[in-house]
Amino acid sequence: MDFNTLAGIVPILLKASVMTLKLTFLSVVFGTIIGVIVAMVKISSNKFIASIGNFYTWIFRGTPLLLQLFVFYYGFPAVGITLTSMQAAIIGLSINSGAYMAEIIRGGILAIDKGQFEASKALGFTYYQTMKRIVLPQAFRIVIPPVGNEFIAMIKDTSLVSSIAMEELLRSAGLLVSASGNPIGPYLITACLYLLMTTVFTSIFSSIERKLSIY
Amino acid sequence: MNMIETKGLTKIFGELKVFENIDVHVKKGEVLVIIGPSGSGKSTFLRCLNHLETPNGGHVAIEEETLDSTNKKHLRKVIEKMGMVFQNFNLFPHMTVLQNVMEAPITVKKENKEIVIERAKKLIDKVGLSEKFSEYPSKLSGGQKQRVAIARALCMEPDIMLFDEPTSALDPELVGEVLNVMKNLAKEGMTMIVVTHEMGFAREVADRVIFMDGGKIVEQGTPEDIFKNPKEQRTKVFLQKIL
Repeated sequence: MDFNTLAGIVPILLKASVMTLKLTFLSVVFGTIIGVIVAMVKISSNKFIASIGNFYTWIFRGTPLLLQLFVFYYGFPAVGITLTSMQAAIIGLSINSGAYMAEIIRGGILAIDKGQFEASKALGFTYYQTMKRIVLPQAFRIVIPPVGNEFIAMIKDTSLVSSIAMEELLRSAGLLVSASGNPIGPYLITACLYLLMTTVFTSIFSSIERKLSIY
Repeated sequence: MNMIETKGLTKIFGELKVFENIDVHVKKGEVLVIIGPSGSGKSTFLRCLNHLETPNGGHVAIEEETLDSTNKKHLRKVIEKMGMVFQNFNLFPHMTVLQNVMEAPITVKKENKEIVIERAKKLIDKVGLSEKFSEYPSKLSGGQKQRVAIARALCMEPDIMLFDEPTSALDPELVGEVLNVMKNLAKEGMTMIVVTHEMGFAREVADRVIFMDGGKIVEQGTPEDIFKNPKEQRTKVFLQKIL
C-alpha cells in the first residue's frame, strides 16, 4: 500500500473513531445511570422490587448483545417502533451496559461496612441521604477498576453496531477494504486505533484510581 | 423528667432471648454505666434505645416521646436527640475530620453551613484535634478516631449520648484520652449511657451502675454499692474476675 492511499484512509478512520468514542461514552454514561438505579432496586428489601432488577440483569446479561441490537433495530419496527441505527445503537449498548454496571455497583455497595449504615442511621440520615452522601461515594472508589474494565470492553463492543448499519470504526474499515481491495492496511490501522483508545482510557482510569486513593 | 425510659423492653434474635423486660429510667444529666459479661445483652440494649435494633416488645421513650418504628419520620426526629459512639468508630472514611463532624447537621438538619463549620471547629478543638481538621480518618490513631466520632455525635447537639464500648477497640495507651473527653462531657451535665469494661471510669464518673447478665438487670446502684458491697453473687463473681 503506498503512502497516498494510507494518507487517504487515516482521516476517514480517525473520523470513525470519533463515532466509536461517542457511542462508548454515551452508553457508559447511560449505562451507569441505569446501573445505579437497577443496583438500588436489586438491594431492596422488598422481594418483588428486587426481583424486577434481577429479571433485568438476567435478560440483558444472559443474551448476546448482537441479538439485542438486532431486536431493537430490525425487530422493533414490526411492533410499530422504528429506531434510527444511532438510536438503536445507543439504547442497545446502554441497556446492556446497565446490566453489567448494576452488578458492579451492587458489589460496591455490598462491600461497604455495615457500621457506615449504622452511624448514618444513628445520626438521623434517611436511607436516601445515607446512599447519596455516605455509601455511593465510597462504593464509587471501589467500582473504579471494574468500571474501567467495562469501559474498555464497551470501546470494543461498539464494533457490534456495525451490523445495524452504524458507521463506526470497524464498519468504516470494512468499507475501505471493499473500496480499495486492500484487506490488510485498513484493518491494521483500525486495530492500532482501538489499541490507542483502550490505552488512553486505561491510563485515565488508573489516574482516577490514584486520585481517589487519598483516603 | 426522665430523659430515657424503657418499659418491658425485650429483644429476641430468632430463638435467642437477648434480654427481656428491661425497665430503665435515666434522668437529665445522669451518667448511667452498664457493665456485665459479654453476651449479657448490654450492647444490644443500648442499640435498642436508638432503634439500631428494633425491640420485639416493650417501648422506649425519649423525653417522654415514645419511639414508634412504624413512623419513620418521627422515629428519625427522636433519634436525633441521641448521639451514638461505636466501638469501631464508624467514621466516614471518604471525608476529612471536619467534614465528618459537619456532615449530619447540614444533611439531616439542613443547618446553615457557616454556623455548622464554626460549631464543628469548636468541638474538634474541644476533643483536642484542632491540628487534624483536614486529615482523613485513615491517618488518625484509634484514640483520635474515637474523639472525632464523639465530636461528630456532639455536633448534632444531642440531649443524650450513648457509648457502646467506646474504648474496647483501642490500644491500652489510647484509652485514657477518650475517657478524658467523656469525663469532661459528664462534668458539663450531658446525660450519658455508657456500656463499658472500664471499671475505673464507672467508679469515677457514673451516677448509677447497672450490672447485666443473661439478659436481665441483676443489680443496680451507685458505684459505691456495686463495687464495694455487691449484693448478688453473680455481681461478686463478675467483679472478682475483672478487677
